[in-house]
Amino acid sequence: MKQRLQITRYQILLNILPILSIVLFAGLWILVSSGEGHIIPSPGEVYDRAVRLFEKPINHVSLGGHIWASMKRVLNGLVFACLTGIPLGLLMGWSKTANSLLKPLFDLIRPIPALAWIPLMTLWFGIGESSKIALIYLGTLMPVLVNTYAGVKMIPQLNIDVARVFGASQLQIVKDIVMPSALSAIMAGIKTAVGTGWIVVLAAEMISADTGLGFMIIRGSNVADLALVIFAMLIIGLVGAFLSVLLTFAERKLCSWKIEIK
Amino acid sequence: MEERNKLEAAAGKLRFERRRERQKALLLGIISIFIFLTVWQMLCTLHIVGENVLVSPIKVIQAIWIKAGDTRPDGNTLLQNILSSFRLVLIGFGLALVIGLPLGLLMGWYRPLDKFIRPIFEIIRPLPPIAWIPIVIVILGIGTAAKSFIIFFTTFVPIVINSYTGIRETNQVYINFAKTCGYSNWRIFRTVGIPSAMPLAFAGMVIALGNGWGTLVAAEMLASNSGLGYMIFMGRSYGRIDIIIAGMLVIGLIGLALTAALELIEGYVLKWRIKEK
Amino acid sequence: MENRNKVELHKISKVFLNGDSCEAAIEEVSLSVKENEFLVLLGPGECGKSVLLNIVAGLMEATSGEVYINGELCGGIHPEVGMVFQELGVLPWLTVRDNVALPEKFRGMSKKDRYAHGQEFIDLVGLHGFEKYYPHQLSGGMKQRVGIARAYASDSDILLMDEPFGKLDAQTRYSMQDEILKIWNQNKKTVIFVTNNIEEAVYLGDRIILFTAAPMSVRRIYDLKDLPRPRNYTDEKFLQIRGEINRHMDLVIQ
Repeated sequence: MKQRLQITRYQILLNILPILSIVLFAGLWILVSSGEGHIIPSPGEVYDRAVRLFEKPINHVSLGGHIWASMKRVLNGLVFACLTGIPLGLLMGWSKTANSLLKPLFDLIRPIPALAWIPLMTLWFGIGESSKIALIYLGTLMPVLVNTYAGVKMIPQLNIDVARVFGASQLQIVKDIVMPSALSAIMAGIKTAVGTGWIVVLAAEMISADTGLGFMIIRGSNVADLALVIFAMLIIGLVGAFLSVLLTFAERKLCSWKIEIK
Repeated sequence: MEERNKLEAAAGKLRFERRRERQKALLLGIISIFIFLTVWQMLCTLHIVGENVLVSPIKVIQAIWIKAGDTRPDGNTLLQNILSSFRLVLIGFGLALVIGLPLGLLMGWYRPLDKFIRPIFEIIRPLPPIAWIPIVIVILGIGTAAKSFIIFFTTFVPIVINSYTGIRETNQVYINFAKTCGYSNWRIFRTVGIPSAMPLAFAGMVIALGNGWGTLVAAEMLASNSGLGYMIFMGRSYGRIDIIIAGMLVIGLIGLALTAALELIEGYVLKWRIKEK
Repeated sequence: MENRNKVELHKISKVFLNGDSCEAAIEEVSLSVKENEFLVLLGPGECGKSVLLNIVAGLMEATSGEVYINGELCGGIHPEVGMVFQELGVLPWLTVRDNVALPEKFRGMSKKDRYAHGQEFIDLVGLHGFEKYYPHQLSGGMKQRVGIARAYASDSDILLMDEPFGKLDAQTRYSMQDEILKIWNQNKKTVIFVTNNIEEAVYLGDRIILFTAAPMSVRRIYDLKDLPRPRNYTDEKFLQIRGEINRHMDLVIQ
């Protein structure tokens, strides 16, 4: 009886702790944002700022417009990255010659962080859309390519042997064995790529843009409107989390046969 | 005797084939790098692309050489910039390690702590670290503290996640064994949990250091007056392509060196682990 | 026709490079398989039986020696050879139906035709009603049935089985042994079956070839044509053969 009582008490504690933590976090925020001459805006001020945002949009673009501007850039870059990265990854994973030829080049480029390309890309493509998309392409290509390559390399020899014994041609092996086997690795690569792309787009927009969530942050910072900055950060976090959930869902759908293999 | 000779002959043939395959791969790699550099050089020396778009690889190397003693255009020599970036990354990463590693391990082991920290962690996690820059600037200015803080944020998340996951995946059999030996929970945590978590925790550190180095460049572009990121950003402002590409090259090389150093430490700490190929 | 040699191996050797030292896996193995014979290759674990089977299938190249199928020299994958792999050979992203229809798919048969063709063999192995299941929804024994159905559906005369029951629990293993004999009786084919289990070998084989440990070579051949089926594990004759093989089998500490 005593044992059971202890277990329930422990369970209650476990359920209370997350709530306590959120309450403490909120309390801390209110504490640092109250009093004379506080720097950090209070939750109420952020809320008011958000409401005003709907009445008077920044740069004549609504909040949805800014979100979509950032997302569209990521999407554009990602599509190009997938269109080139997946075939290249498959090729490099499948053909030793292609790998020997291409790998040194990618090894040369890979250690350079995506954000370090910003000066060069803005110099080449100006500060408009194309330089941002080129940046996101550079940031997302590597995760897609590397994962596709690894996915192909990790295919069990047995799976390929099955196809060979039953008379599959090289092309059939790639289509019916390699692609489905590598699919979950490719999806993982796309997931990483979206995360990277989301960071790159913000950085690019913070450095030069007139739409997008990164622009919203930097605008808030430039006019000392920290409530706007915090609101933009909240939106960025929410959109990032949403994208990650969406991709996990897509992965489940596409690789449903894999769910119960751990 | 004849048996032996036949075997040796067969093995010799296999060895020869293997060696030739390796030589072929190496040769192809050298050829492709050579073509890449030649095309790049040709584009520049034949003036197919203008000086304001691309400079030749030779000029890039020259730029690194000159920059070693020249403070133009950003006001620091190359070494000063390197040291400045290096210092920031070490402070930020070091802090993240000292706080994040124990936190992740303890969260993975003690459920109440997990329940308490997790909500806050989940709020912070999806935010790209550079989004913090404006707030951090307001509170900490644009000095060392601000940028170290950004790096801290970048590196903190993967370190916590990986050490947490690592200790969560401790083999239950080992834990049960330790329990039957009468070990206390704290002792099991130290002797079984932490060693099991180390391989994943190190993987997290490698990711963290790579991310941190990449983010630092952006942080230095947005708020700084020294460092490699600042250097290439100034190169952009003055239209000095040689400085930009030279800077990117140095950033890439140092990134590689940092990862290599960490892997060296990993190899030393995790001697017991058999590296699977 | 009964005595025609379906498969013949002539002095097959295989050498692997392990690091820088060479290891002989197979040493001059010659053997022949009659048409519609159930031949068991028996040897201690890791002795190279699977390598030999892969050479027959054309998946690996022998260092020296030749493989003849139907009396003709064979230098690769032969359309008349089908294979039942270990458990993982069933592709996890394909349903039972698609797994069984895979060989016909590679031959370019239309979806409708190959499903119809495969159905016969799905029924044969007793998986009727499971056509749309994914492998992860099936038990180990059922997965192996899929593998057998697929090998049969490939319409090959020669079936190679690479320790197909090695990963099953003992009970399932017994029932699958009966199953494979039942299918083979209904639909005679030439079978080369690899195992390291003496009982399984004696229970299934028309003939057993016992191999030495690596480097693998033929130690003894047991003709069990006269041992009537269905065989009984506790039969005196059965136990006698089992004991004799046991005495000649190499012990390998793994």
